[in-house]
Amino acid sequence: MSRTQFLLRRIGQSLLVIALTYVFVFYVLFLLPGDPIESRIVNPQNPIPAEQAAAILAYYNLDRNGLEQFWISVTRLFQGDLGFSLGTGRPVAELIRDGFAETLTLAGLALVFALAFAVAIAATAVLAPWRWARGLADKLPVVALATPGFLVGLVLLQVFAYQLSWFSSIRDEGFKSLILPALTLAVGVSAPIAQVLIQGLRQAYGEPFVTVLRAKGVPESRIFGGHALKNASIPALTLFGLTVGELLAGSVIAEAVFNRSGLGFVTEQAVRAQDGPVVQAVVMLVAIIFTLVNLLTDLLYPVIDKRIAAKTLGSGTGSRTPAADLDTRQEVLTP
Amino acid sequence: MSNIFSSIKRTAALTSAAVAIALLATGCSGSAGATTNTDAGSASAEDKRGGEVVYLDAELSRSTQLQASGTWQDSAYIENIADRLVYRDPETQEIKPWIAESWTVSEDGLTYEFKIRDGVTFSNGQVLDAGAVKRNLDWQIKGDTDKGIPANNWFPKVKSVTADDAAGTVTVKLGHPSTAFLAILSFWRSALVADATIEAPIETQQQLSGVIGSGPFVVESEKYGEEIVLTRREGYAWAPEGLANQGEAYLDKVTVVPVTEDSVRLGSLRSGEADFIRYIQPSEEKTLAEAGFQIVARQGVGNANVWDLKQAAPFLDDVKVRQALQHGIDRQQIIDDLYTGNWSAATSIITPGSVGYKDVSELFAYDPEESNRLLDEAGWTGRDADGYRTKDGEQLHVLTYVDVYDSTAKPLFQLVQWQLKQIGVNLDIKETDYANYASVYTDDSVGALRNGWPEADTTRLSIGYHSAGSNSFKFQAADKELDGLLEDQLTASTVEEREKTIGEIQERIVEQAYALPIINDTQVFGLAPTVHDLTFSSEARPHFYETWTEKK
Repeated sequence: MSRTQFLLRRIGQSLLVIALTYVFVFYVLFLLPGDPIESRIVNPQNPIPAEQAAAILAYYNLDRNGLEQFWISVTRLFQGDLGFSLGTGRPVAELIRDGFAETLTLAGLALVFALAFAVAIAATAVLAPWRWARGLADKLPVVALATPGFLVGLVLLQVFAYQLSWFSSIRDEGFKSLILPALTLAVGVSAPIAQVLIQGLRQAYGEPFVTVLRAKGVPESRIFGGHALKNASIPALTLFGLTVGELLAGSVIAEAVFNRSGLGFVTEQAVRAQDGPVVQAVVMLVAIIFTLVNLLTDLLYPVIDKRIAAKTLGSGTGSRTPAADLDTRQEVLTP
Repeated sequence: MSNIFSSIKRTAALTSAAVAIALLATGCSGSAGATTNTDAGSASAEDKRGGEVVYLDAELSRSTQLQASGTWQDSAYIENIADRLVYRDPETQEIKPWIAESWTVSEDGLTYEFKIRDGVTFSNGQVLDAGAVKRNLDWQIKGDTDKGIPANNWFPKVKSVTADDAAGTVTVKLGHPSTAFLAILSFWRSALVADATIEAPIETQQQLSGVIGSGPFVVESEKYGEEIVLTRREGYAWAPEGLANQGEAYLDKVTVVPVTEDSVRLGSLRSGEADFIRYIQPSEEKTLAEAGFQIVARQGVGNANVWDLKQAAPFLDDVKVRQALQHGIDRQQIIDDLYTGNWSAATSIITPGSVGYKDVSELFAYDPEESNRLLDEAGWTGRDADGYRTKDGEQLHVLTYVDVYDSTAKPLFQLVQWQLKQIGVNLDIKETDYANYASVYTDDSVGALRNGWPEADTTRLSIGYHSAGSNSFKFQAADKELDGLLEDQLTASTVEEREKTIGEIQERIVEQAYALPIINDTQVFGLAPTVHDLTFSSEARPHFYETWTEKK
């Protein structure tokens, strides 16, 4: 199989996953009872009589059968029209675009914080000269995992917004407004990365090359940054997909506590109200992100590890790549 | 190794220092904010003018489409950006001139002629004249079905609406007399909006920025879920008659931020980031007041917070069972245990101040002995292992769902559950979310559901309780007497006649225990000491028009 064929096959698979997700989500939403229009019609504060309710259902095509509704939805999708939120009347495309932009910045900063926390914790857990510090750092990820995100958020608000007034709890202060929610989000996300890093570092420091490097007089900081951490990072990198999921899921909490209208907030509102078009769009976006992440990971593996390249591309295609040659040599060398 | 660890040590030291400072600050600032309120009475109009406030609402704007929405917070925003034909004085409940500077009602009660005030404009510049009023009324009466907009089903039957722009009058001919018509016109749902709003798609009307009114505030910007910015309408000079302020609003800007998390709202008020907030847990009222904040509580006129009993549900078609529930609830205990002096026990299915209100609390006095007698009579004489009454091996249980529209609801439901247990009734409480609450309405196994909100008129009793309307009691066989009364209250030709009918409706519903009155709801606001004169509509929606701040 050529590289192009491989690429085309993976892209094809990804598109199929996205299409199947679309159908599945549509079907589930169709089956679930309750939606914002029904809530509007039977709202006890303003009940709407039957004949007018029929007109409302007709406007939203909710009087049609599932297949017809699906067809309308797909046709609109291909015309680039994601429709409107049934509950708030806002254009879905606008909700997703604004929400995604907001969450992306938040998640980006949270990822930076999370990586910093994880490296600091792992370094302490493995290298601290005091036993208590090593023990504490070792337990920290477990505590972080067990602490609910909203609690972290509320404590940060209490201390840094209400008491110290360093941050506003409600006003948009640009980049500054990102810090507390990003910290909230980072705590939970850093924990699994720290755990994997701790293990990786322990393993790396047990390897003979560290002794060799020390014997050669390489400074500890370079052994850590340039060699041990690098080796320990490879397993942590495979967590990337999981981390993206954590960031998206955690943003729901962080955005609720810090009053930010990102994708997490949009999702929470839409799911609460069972707002079909918005839920559908959010799930599709998440499906696309995950498919892309997986696709990228699959495409990157061969770049990082030449052995994988040879395996995925197979042998006997007549156009052996240097990577494949390398792979064969390695297999011979390592029985 | 020392290189790395000296830097880690430094960081650790800095971190612990920061935490120590933070904790110190937390401990030290407990008594902050205990300032006294200034003498608001001596401030002149000039003193009041200017300034900006931040208002934290407890909920998000959902939809502001006038005929189709029903959420409290949206109605509160509409009240501040749009005017009505007439104004209902929140103190006297009297209907006063507003956009209609005067009106006449024909002797047969069928023709209303409104004289429209000169010089009023919508915030987009369109003149609010007789023609605009006619277009609003036609739109309210018919709805706009092509756009999925229903009619305003509060309106009486209207035969015609005509406008005479030269004379500045609008004439409405009704199909039957309606003494409720003016009150309905005073309600937020009857707000007058510009042609651009009427012509816009429903999706635009669902955003507050899509509602163009002639009110004292204008929507400057709206960011979904984050904030709504209202600014003072320049040149506003058509306030309702009788208000001290007849010019522009005092505040330059009101930023409404939806904060659903109770502790964040409270923390932001205490730290001075917010000037006033809506909804404070009853348990927090005292500590907030002691810290120098003002607690402003307002009970709206309209329907009391009641539980409708659904007769399609098991056992509730038996009047004795329903009456046993009626006498088994101790409303005073609910207020004493869960609420504060700002709340009160219901004395009818409508609240004091409503047209035709009658104190019928004697008909549903707490009397567990009477409840036990009624249940014995109804044959519920057995007891199961948990102490609940049984008949023919079946337990006496009533299914209910916690009200999703009221954030104080759950403890109330649990207390009623405990009270009913004392008479051997199992109140089975379930919870659901906003999206699924609609399906609870159509579920015949559900026996009791909360109803009743402050509203401009008792018209909704007829919309909700008539067996051919929403049939909220799920009558298996219509109560002709009640249906008759509910029809009569809509068409009574004199106020006296209507008041008498509404009195009979209250007696009938309470005596037959179709609904269980519980409490009179209260809207509670917490205000910084610098904020003054937050006023309210009859239905307890906040008005920012006369509000002013000392912070400029």
